[in-house]
Amino acid sequence: MIEIKISKLLQGAEGTFSLDIDECIPPGQIITLYGSSGAGKTSLLRIIAGLINPDIGHIKVNEQTWFDKTQGINLKPGKRSIGMVFQDYALFPNMTVRKNLIYACDTSRDPELVDRLIEVVELKQLENRRPNTLSGGQQQRVALARALAGRPKLLLLDEPLSALDAEMRKKLQDYILAVHRQFDLTTILVSHDAGEIFKLSDRVIHLEDGKVVNNNTAVEMFSQRHLSGKFQFIGEVLEIATEDVVSVIAVLIDNHLVKIIVDEQTAAGLSLGDRVLVASKAFNPVIKKI
Amino acid sequence: MNNLPGTISSIETHGNLTLVKIDISNISFTSIVIETPDTVDYLKIGRGINVMFKETEVIIGKGKAQISLQNRIPTRIIAIKKGQLLSQITLQYNDHSLSSIITSNAVDQLELTPGTEVIAMVKTNEVMLSE
Repeated sequence: MIEIKISKLLQGAEGTFSLDIDECIPPGQIITLYGSSGAGKTSLLRIIAGLINPDIGHIKVNEQTWFDKTQGINLKPGKRSIGMVFQDYALFPNMTVRKNLIYACDTSRDPELVDRLIEVVELKQLENRRPNTLSGGQQQRVALARALAGRPKLLLLDEPLSALDAEMRKKLQDYILAVHRQFDLTTILVSHDAGEIFKLSDRVIHLEDGKVVNNNTAVEMFSQRHLSGKFQFIGEVLEIATEDVVSVIAVLIDNHLVKIIVDEQTAAGLSLGDRVLVASKAFNPVIKKI
Repeated sequence: MNNLPGTISSIETHGNLTLVKIDISNISFTSIVIETPDTVDYLKIGRGINVMFKETEVIIGKGKAQISLQNRIPTRIIAIKKGQLLSQITLQYNDHSLSSIITSNAVDQLELTPGTEVIAMVKTNEVMLSE
């Protein structure tokens, strides 16, 4: 269990505001921090990591106190069992992929970890390359592997995939899920992408102006749960083709491309890349055994 | 998507299914949902609710014919936009406007023109409810 009860005055675009968090995160979950920019998401990650100190409060991870203002406890970032991945990869440019990982590992204690990490994020073919010869997605895979080299309990991901294209993002999401499960992590992710949040999160904490305005599952938070249709998915508009008085909207839902007929008025309100809710009654779909 | 505001007038539950009747300016609409008053809080008599159904699910009837559909709205055609295969028909009932997309062949066959009085019909299982 991760217990975070902290307050911190932060400098926002429109003056100071107080970040006030009182949340418990069960072990093994992936939690997404969601909210407008400047809501305090990254500050919260940095407070958990020990890069910023809260004004008051405490942070406990599995009964170990990382921070407690009243008791004067404040573990240094290096003493907190965390791995972090940011949008930029911050790899050592003069080292190969393997050496980047070895550098971060305590290989005397865990001699097989480097090979295991290379296997999980499928870097075997790339292990002798230098970071600047890799694509963005490949570099981010190395950064993900490196974040796990210290065997952290807690993985902190600050918009790690936002610089990648859609295809690469989906692959990296699969790697994040794979490492989360295989390394028994608790993961806290900052993301704006509803599809990504759906795919990865057990719960979503919605922050605005430093306050938690909602803490719920992704389905409850993003789907219109008060719409009675039982066939509801979130997808991304890939194509809008106008045919006659209707338009055919191609929507990517997870890895599946589906097509939906809408009238002109609905089509006029849609743009490529929009996140959309696709809903139908449970009566319409047919099921065929394959 | 057609969206008409109404008020829940009756609720009949059996197992996980509920047949909901909704009053929309003096006509009664029926929807069937996989919910019960125990699973959602909007299933209450007297509660305001939006009735939603897709344009492509709106059947147009003209004249007198016996038909099983319970959801019938007497409307007047206010506009027809005719395409090669499909046409969009804009309909008016009291202050509500709704839309139907049917084949252009059907528009010709029924001799539909603006001003024609028609019955707009929707199957019970095509009607969604939204708060």
